[in-house]
Amino acid sequence: MTFNKRSLITLAVLAGIIATAYYFFVTKGITYIWHWEKVPEMLFYYGSRSADDSIPGLHMGVLMMGFVLTLKISIVSTIFGIIIGIIVGIARLSKEPVTRAISLAYVELIRNTPLLVQIFIIYFFVGSLLRLSAFVAGTAALSIFAGAYVGEIVRGGIQSIHKGQMEASRSLGMSYAKAMRHIILPQALKRIIPPLAGQFISLIKDSSLVSVIALADLMFQGQQAVARTYYTFEIYFTVAFLYLIMTFSLSMATQYIERRLAISD
Amino acid sequence: MINATNVYKTFKTPDHREVKALVDFSTDIKKGEVVVIIGPSGSGKSTFLRCLNRLEVIDSGEIIIDGVNINDKKENINKIREEIGMVFQLFNLFPHKTVLENVTLSQVVVRNRSKNEASEVARGLLKKVGILEKENGYPSQLSGGQQQRVAIARALAMHPKIMLFDEATSALDPEMIGEVLDVMKTLAREGMTMVVVTHEMGFAREVSDRVVFMDEGQIVEEGTAEHFFTNPTHERTKLFLSQIL
Repeated sequence: MTFNKRSLITLAVLAGIIATAYYFFVTKGITYIWHWEKVPEMLFYYGSRSADDSIPGLHMGVLMMGFVLTLKISIVSTIFGIIIGIIVGIARLSKEPVTRAISLAYVELIRNTPLLVQIFIIYFFVGSLLRLSAFVAGTAALSIFAGAYVGEIVRGGIQSIHKGQMEASRSLGMSYAKAMRHIILPQALKRIIPPLAGQFISLIKDSSLVSVIALADLMFQGQQAVARTYYTFEIYFTVAFLYLIMTFSLSMATQYIERRLAISD
Repeated sequence: MINATNVYKTFKTPDHREVKALVDFSTDIKKGEVVVIIGPSGSGKSTFLRCLNRLEVIDSGEIIIDGVNINDKKENINKIREEIGMVFQLFNLFPHKTVLENVTLSQVVVRNRSKNEASEVARGLLKKVGILEKENGYPSQLSGGQQQRVAIARALAMHPKIMLFDEATSALDPEMIGEVLDVMKTLAREGMTMVVVTHEMGFAREVSDRVVFMDEGQIVEEGTAEHFFTNPTHERTKLFLSQIL
């Protein structure tokens, strides 16, 4: 992926704002002894993991382990969020009133209750019944949450495709499912990439909420490290920066995909 | 080949008024016949065309195509539609597919032809409609006339027995109408069964076997093109013709 001029400028502006804020904070603000030198070992360190592990090596520090887990959670729930979203989006437009009602109820229920509450319900209630691990419960909650929003985006995308496309497909003998798969959805998905990207950027950030069910994601590891060391600002700045790496990469990736897909316009 | 008997179709407008699009409409179309349907807008001509491949479902009456009652729930509508090609006023090409893919897609996913076989059929048809050199272009890169010719090739790729043309030239710039009409005339001369809704009287006069004049969901007058343009009998027909000719 090539970084174009605009994304470089965006990065520069961002860095400028952070540097300015940091400068004023350090020089004019409260008294605080900075320990930035302690941060790198929370990302990677060289040494033994435990007393039994005699051969020293390069290992991931706590924050990097959290980063990897957050990445995993985000990727898995993005994939399931898309799958659920497409199904819900199509169901919302179904001719079958029952299907329509169920999908609408799902969307309304999920969108109108806090994600934090949903995570607790899925982990403590559903999770206890089905013996789900924290990882499964956490990603399930995020997938179900994202699915409701993605469903509405997909529905909007499908409705934005001219009805002549469906008529032309059907008049060629395609079934509804084939027309959806080959004609309507590819066009709709292309059109909804910008709002989808926004949704999944939110999802990455919202994934920090799973730290409440003791899932050792980036946020959880950050909190733990702060509790252990009291390097509050250094750690939270680093955590924020690591989230920024994930979300900014996703922004860049979607812009790249958009440019690639613009070829038929 | 097409037998429509006592067909009724009513639309409900958003403000709950009823619009009668087809009223006790009956007509028979023989194999190889080219029927041109003309009439003022709102007369039900496009509705009739769309009822023929069940893009609209009729309220009552019967439409039999090739011996099959197309509104019979037991019949597979997709199978019926494979045999009926349709060309739309706004082309409705698939914008995310290349010209060649537009013509091959339904062959592959509906007729289960191999990609190679479908491409061969598609190239033959693109050559026929005179647009083979654009096969790798996208619809947005073509003029209206070119797009409509691709749309005709796309419909023909299914090897239909009947072709429906729904105002196929109405959205075109005047200088592009000729190229599309030429393709349609070629098809007509090759013996394709065609039902054509159009405002192109030249086309009607030149290639149609029968002209049907509709108003308010009913047939006002029908006959050969010659009868129609030289001595129409109904006042309504005379009025219509005097306004458009």
